[in-house]
Amino acid sequence: MKFKAATNGFELRGLMPLATLAVLCVVTAVATDHFLSPLNLSNILVQSSIMTVVALGMTFVIVGGGFDLSVGSTVALSGCIATLVMMKAGLGLGIAAGLAAGALVGLINGVIIAILGVNAFIATLGTMVLVRGVVFLITGGAPVGDEGLPRAFVAFGSQRFLGIHYLVWVPAILLAVLSWIMQNTPHGRRIYAVGGGREASYLSGIPVERVIAWTYVWCGGLAGIAGVMLAARLQSGQPTAGEFYELTAIAAVILGGAALHGGEGALYKSVIGVFIMVVLGNSLNLLNVDSYWQRVAVGIVIIAAAAVDRLRWRR
Amino acid sequence: MTQTVLRAANITKRFGATMALDNVGVDVIGGQIHTLVGENGAGKSTLIRILGGVHKPDHGEIYLEGKLRHFSGPREAIAAGIATIPQELRLVPSLSIAENMALGDWPVTRWLGIPGIVDRARMHDEARQTLRLLNFTANLEIPVRDLPFGERQLVAIGKALRRNCRVLILDEPTAALEKHEIDRLFDILARMKDAGVAIIYISHHLDEILSLADRCTVLRDGRVAAVSRRGEFDKSAIVEAMTGGVVNEFSPDAALPGQTILEEPQRADGISLRTGELMGLAGLLGSGKERVLRRLFATGREPTQVRIRGIPTRLSAPVHAVAAGMGMVPGERGLGLIMNQSVRENILLASLDRVPSFRSRDNRADERTVEALLELLDIRPRRPELKVSMLSGGNQQKVILAKWLARKVDILLLDDPTQGIDVAAKAQIHALLRDFAKRGGAVLLSSSDLGELVRLCHTVITINRGRIGTRMDGSHLTEQGLLRAIGGG
Repeated sequence: MKFKAATNGFELRGLMPLATLAVLCVVTAVATDHFLSPLNLSNILVQSSIMTVVALGMTFVIVGGGFDLSVGSTVALSGCIATLVMMKAGLGLGIAAGLAAGALVGLINGVIIAILGVNAFIATLGTMVLVRGVVFLITGGAPVGDEGLPRAFVAFGSQRFLGIHYLVWVPAILLAVLSWIMQNTPHGRRIYAVGGGREASYLSGIPVERVIAWTYVWCGGLAGIAGVMLAARLQSGQPTAGEFYELTAIAAVILGGAALHGGEGALYKSVIGVFIMVVLGNSLNLLNVDSYWQRVAVGIVIIAAAAVDRLRWRR
Repeated sequence: MTQTVLRAANITKRFGATMALDNVGVDVIGGQIHTLVGENGAGKSTLIRILGGVHKPDHGEIYLEGKLRHFSGPREAIAAGIATIPQELRLVPSLSIAENMALGDWPVTRWLGIPGIVDRARMHDEARQTLRLLNFTANLEIPVRDLPFGERQLVAIGKALRRNCRVLILDEPTAALEKHEIDRLFDILARMKDAGVAIIYISHHLDEILSLADRCTVLRDGRVAAVSRRGEFDKSAIVEAMTGGVVNEFSPDAALPGQTILEEPQRADGISLRTGELMGLAGLLGSGKERVLRRLFATGREPTQVRIRGIPTRLSAPVHAVAAGMGMVPGERGLGLIMNQSVRENILLASLDRVPSFRSRDNRADERTVEALLELLDIRPRRPELKVSMLSGGNQQKVILAKWLARKVDILLLDDPTQGIDVAAKAQIHALLRDFAKRGGAVLLSSSDLGELVRLCHTVITINRGRIGTRMDGSHLTEQGLLRAIGGG
């Protein structure tokens, strides 16, 4: 009986993010006129789409017990590389180059952290600054693209398929495929195991370093996809794009209920976390809250989420 | 000088269902060394924790210099003059010697009676004077982590002395010391005796006890089995009191071991295991018996060269050891389990590489494996989705064993697998290991419970300060013989 009560309590706590999102939506719908309008809802989906892809990657890293500050810079890097290559070698190669650039940054992070054993915070702080520098070097600080981009690429950033933006289809499909990988394959279970107990995993014969390196490759690769999506939406590769994405993504993953020390969390929960952030911003906009105050509110939400995480683990 | 400084009377302490101490009394006299001996689980640690204010006794009284005292925590016991030097020293590695000695009781400058900043000059003076009593001179500015263990221990003793301790409790102080460090420690203990300090000394080394003890109390199963004075006891009397003089039933019930499955041909002191064999490793704390297990499982930096079923194999990480058919049950349960995951995930943890990384797992087959193992090992409750952290210690240990059985390993390495678990679970784990060996598995287990080794194993190897001592089997394998071999120096 005691066990039953304990698990029920746990499941209830697992519903907290969803309940938060629901309350947020209901309050906004009541307090404003336009929240439920098709245009606004579609806006929310499009605004969430790119951040969702980044947060999916961040979930891999955080579940594996790590941390990645470099995703914002990676988003800019892959967007700029994709547009640069695209204008010379066509759409397909451009997208491939953008994704490859993201995965490469992830691999470098993975090697530095998992194999060399450098602290994840320091390592990705380093690559964050370094990659941003590289972006400015290859672009000369100016936006890439505008006129010369393939028409299909620009269409991908603005058109719809079955009434839903292409940009929204991407995270939806990724969520389905990656969730299957996380939950059902040995690869995914190893990530949970290593994040939940690195030493115990090591002593159970799990190649811990390789698993950790993989999580950064996922994160970098997904940031690469996000970068390409953002370039399509902005119809250019912007060297300053993606700033503070890393912080929003980490906040979203934690809001979704993942533990910062690893081993807990799920991709769909991180998506809920992203929606909490986006709907909060949307709601404050609709309520005409001053943009300076919006920052204060978002900061409070992030701290509150972290505090809830602490309280949860204190029991 | 010869008056009782510390008297504990009728101390009783219960932890859940286990009676840790049952009506235990001890008198410690100023200027004397009182040794406390007993097998693991006899109640020594509980007794010194009660004396040191960590635990509160259920019944019984503690008198310090004739006055009845109740300690609500270690702080009060230390303030009253009872200092404990545990095996894991309570020092802050990054702070200097002087700061560690002053920790929690810093001398401060005063101005018109108002406390100001830490008085570093006085802090250093006090540290220097105290350490002079211990005949220990060192640069007081260097951080404690740069000192060898023996000197860190002196700092801990110095810290106790600085606070004018009347009773000094040492828990197996020589376990991690070199020979010359032991001599120095004994010299210091002699000085402290002369200064009138009452010393409680816990040890497993019978030679140490004979040479140091003015009095000796033997604990067995939470009771006082014997108390005697210098000259009244010898080794065999202590051993008999510790073990209860029981004749050990050696039961060679398992099938006779078969061919060699694991050996270390490149080491003179290598282990050689045969199929069907249960081999034990006996040794005191700090003897390095668990290092043998870690070496075979390749957890260190150095690769291990072994032959498995005659095939030379190089193991450079646990991944290789597992691939070669070995499983390890570590001494700390937290190192064997992913605590925030379910029983099911933990049981399947070592078998993840049975399916390609990006293929779906066979959930139906996994479910059957888990169900069968929950049943076989009697893991309770039978709820595979329960978080493993919710289980009792005994059931957690069974989950670790289930993890390796799910992988169908041939060799099990176990580091004190039944430590701190209840009698019923212990018996089940023993039965399981016997069965594992009977089916052709090989078992190498270290244990601090000598009776367990005698009852369970075909062969026991004793380890003494990192080296292989004697090898006992058949009718030569007795608890008393083992105790002498590991503690006799």
